[in-house]
Amino acid sequence: MVLPAPGGGAEVGVWEQLNAFHLDVLKEIGNIGAGNAATALAALLNQRIEMSVPRAGVLPLQEIPSLIGQEEDPVACVEFGVTGRAPGKIMFLLTRDSAFSLIDFLLGQSLGTTQKLDDMGVSVLTEVGNILTGSFLTAFAEFSRLEFIPSVPAFAFDMLGAVLSSAFLEGGYFADQALVIETQFYSPEAQISGYFFLIPEEQALSVIMESLGVNF
Amino acid sequence: MGKRVLVVDDAAFMRMMIKDILTKNGYEIAGEAENGQKAVELYQQLKPDVVTMDITMPEMDGIAAVKAIKKIDPDAKIIMCSAMGQQLMVMEAIQAGAKDFIVKPFQQERVLQALQKVLGQ
Repeated sequence: MVLPAPGGGAEVGVWEQLNAFHLDVLKEIGNIGAGNAATALAALLNQRIEMSVPRAGVLPLQEIPSLIGQEEDPVACVEFGVTGRAPGKIMFLLTRDSAFSLIDFLLGQSLGTTQKLDDMGVSVLTEVGNILTGSFLTAFAEFSRLEFIPSVPAFAFDMLGAVLSSAFLEGGYFADQALVIETQFYSPEAQISGYFFLIPEEQALSVIMESLGVNF
Repeated sequence: MGKRVLVVDDAAFMRMMIKDILTKNGYEIAGEAENGQKAVELYQQLKPDVVTMDITMPEMDGIAAVKAIKKIDPDAKIIMCSAMGQQLMVMEAIQAGAKDFIVKPFQQERVLQALQKVLGQ
């Protein structure tokens, strides 16, 4: 599925300069990074993890929730700010049921045990996000020869619309669009489905492209 | 008497996992810390035989903590245990004085092997 090309807005911003080839490059970054993250998740769960073909595109902020579900769906979100020459944001999102299944799985409890989040549950989810993000960034760093420094993770458990809008507001996102590189993970046996979002900032784009030898 | 380990990680879940591996394999948990600052304080108090150290933590990160601990005790034995496997970071940690670097997710054997190597067993 191809996300809509950027449109609207009075000035020609950075996002408008992205052509299909650039988006392809970004999808490949998503593929390599998420592939490594999926491998890490598989090792952690000792289960096979399926991965979707990554999608990359510039979206109005209010359309980002629709990549996952409805605005009112309860989700867990582990979010990292990434600094370095190519700054941005990484988010690992799980629907509530997947979050609870993941907690049960990692704590060695039977599926269905966790019915609400406690401190240990939050710690489990946050640490999984940490490990996946670490894998993603390590792979991305090797591929691009850039350095990425993740922040301490922030955790939220709330409705999808609320989680995403506060993540963007806090990040000082004054633009009304964002570049999103999205992958979905799925473990059939463990009944866990998660989403990984890489959201580079505008100034990161030329750095990323240049490091990969792509004109931008 | 088992060797005493100070476990440092901001995730309670990861500390639990590491402590579990250690106690099931004859190690004693000297203490645990959720950030680098606490790690440095506890190191001075508890004088563990070895430290497992995460990198990304609030208050003080793991690499800064390694440097601070090595200042107090140049012979301190610290094993990094982090989700960050980027080459630059591994190098930075080793240059700061860490003896080994384990990337998460890890297998139990990797942790045990690192401890044995560092403790010269």
